[in-house]
Amino acid sequence: MNLLTFFTEPFAQPFMQRAVIAGMAVGGLCAMLGVFVVQRGLSFIGDGLAHAAFGGIALGLLLGASVSHATWIALPFTVLVSLGIAFVLRRGKLRGDVATGVFFAVSFALGVLFLGLRPVTAQPVNVETVLFGSILAVGSSDLLVVLAVCALVALAIIVTWTRLAYATFDPELARLSGVKVELLDYMLLALTAVVIVVAVKTVGIALVSSFVVIPAATARMLGRSLHRVALFAVAIGVGGAALGLLLSYHLNVASGATIILTLGAGFGLALALRKR
Amino acid sequence: MNQSPERESRAPRSLAPAPPYAGPRHFTLPDDSMKRVLVADKVTVELSGKRILDDVSFWIPKGEFLCLCGPNGAGKSTFLKTVLGIVQPVAGSIEILGQPAGTANKAVGYVPQRKTFDHDFPATALELIVANLRGSWPLRVTRDERDRARAVLRRVGGEKLVDKPLAGLSGGETQRVFLARALVNDPALVILDEPTAGVDVRGRHEFLDILAEISASDELAAILVTHNPAAIARCAERVVYIDGRLIAWGLPNELLGQESLSAIAFSMKDHGKSLPADED
Repeated sequence: MNLLTFFTEPFAQPFMQRAVIAGMAVGGLCAMLGVFVVQRGLSFIGDGLAHAAFGGIALGLLLGASVSHATWIALPFTVLVSLGIAFVLRRGKLRGDVATGVFFAVSFALGVLFLGLRPVTAQPVNVETVLFGSILAVGSSDLLVVLAVCALVALAIIVTWTRLAYATFDPELARLSGVKVELLDYMLLALTAVVIVVAVKTVGIALVSSFVVIPAATARMLGRSLHRVALFAVAIGVGGAALGLLLSYHLNVASGATIILTLGAGFGLALALRKR
Repeated sequence: MNQSPERESRAPRSLAPAPPYAGPRHFTLPDDSMKRVLVADKVTVELSGKRILDDVSFWIPKGEFLCLCGPNGAGKSTFLKTVLGIVQPVAGSIEILGQPAGTANKAVGYVPQRKTFDHDFPATALELIVANLRGSWPLRVTRDERDRARAVLRRVGGEKLVDKPLAGLSGGETQRVFLARALVNDPALVILDEPTAGVDVRGRHEFLDILAEISASDELAAILVTHNPAAIARCAERVVYIDGRLIAWGLPNELLGQESLSAIAFSMKDHGKSLPADED
């Protein structure tokens, strides 16, 4: 096999085309959001909101929606959880990891409760499918939703970038310069929630939370200004998704896990280079 | 008549028993004809139901360097937050150049305590200064903005720091950059909240040199919250001593030298000594 076919052969398959497009879109966007949430000490927000999304999906199933339609119940549910976390953080009584941990545990427990409350006649649901998704199983309509959401969220982040960056550096100084810090805090977490709900369904919880944390943490070691860190993070998220999928195809191993390990290898490399 | 204020717990201030409060002691006050940059009028602030400041009134004329002193929990930082408009008084008011506090923030430069900002944020001194100039974080910096940042850094003796990442700066260098940030909009008043806390001895001396230059300026007024007697001796043109209420307002030697204010003088000296060495 030559180098060209290494890249072209997998992408001759429609399911791989959809997977790589979804992976790059979600990877790039989660990485961009990750730059802000990781810098704010909210590294676990991806994991927490992904588990909250499970609670929302379970609520949708309890209300009689199908697994695919339950996402539309999970969306407002997860956004509410994210606003709850933002509200608690604003009160300043709890650290970010504590607030995330509490909301994550409660919404996950609600999810389990909701699934148990479904009538016995309801169709059985494979919890693993809900929790872990599969990037290789992304359908055309799912892909369109992912791309539309990613485009809208990316636009919102780009438009508010300079104010978000200032508020992330120091909320008090940003507020004194006239930045609407409170509004931006709620917006950032709500947008993260929207992306995560859509992404969990397509790529799964583990991949979503690693897309939020690892590219941002890696880029932090490479860039000296926030916008360079963001550019590196997006490149790492997009590149990690594409390379991980290629490797998983050729090695015939789990795609999500390979993407995460690729991102992890990039982090290790940056760490090694930094120490020199 | 004001009730005795409830305040947060504080460090022991003095071995001498505090004299009963008999109203504020006014010594030599600023000339009444001078233009007033800041006017605090009967400022009363409550936080979480606790009265932190009670009926505090004083004013600062143009160009005056004022040291705001008092024991821990006396309400010094709360007063600064009220000046910045972050905290609203339940009674009374603060005006800056005739405008209500919080509405004239370009006229006020603020240097925070070193511990209150993120030292790991990937940013350069230039970006930090330009962010205050624009009111948003810069993606690209124009030539004019760079020139203004350089000029204000030169004023605080830190021109070489312009492109340095904040994470690599020493404590003294960091505070110079934050002072430059505060001065970039040509404010009428600069507020410094214990700016040398946590800074090494050399950095602290160099920073005091810069503050002494600001003190010598007839244009820029300043409020310096400090526990550092050396800073008061070198920079203060006037001292306000508060402990929830205004205790005394006058010239530095009056507050430190008056026998009748020995408890205050002792408290101020005692406070300096009770802090870690790097705070002195």
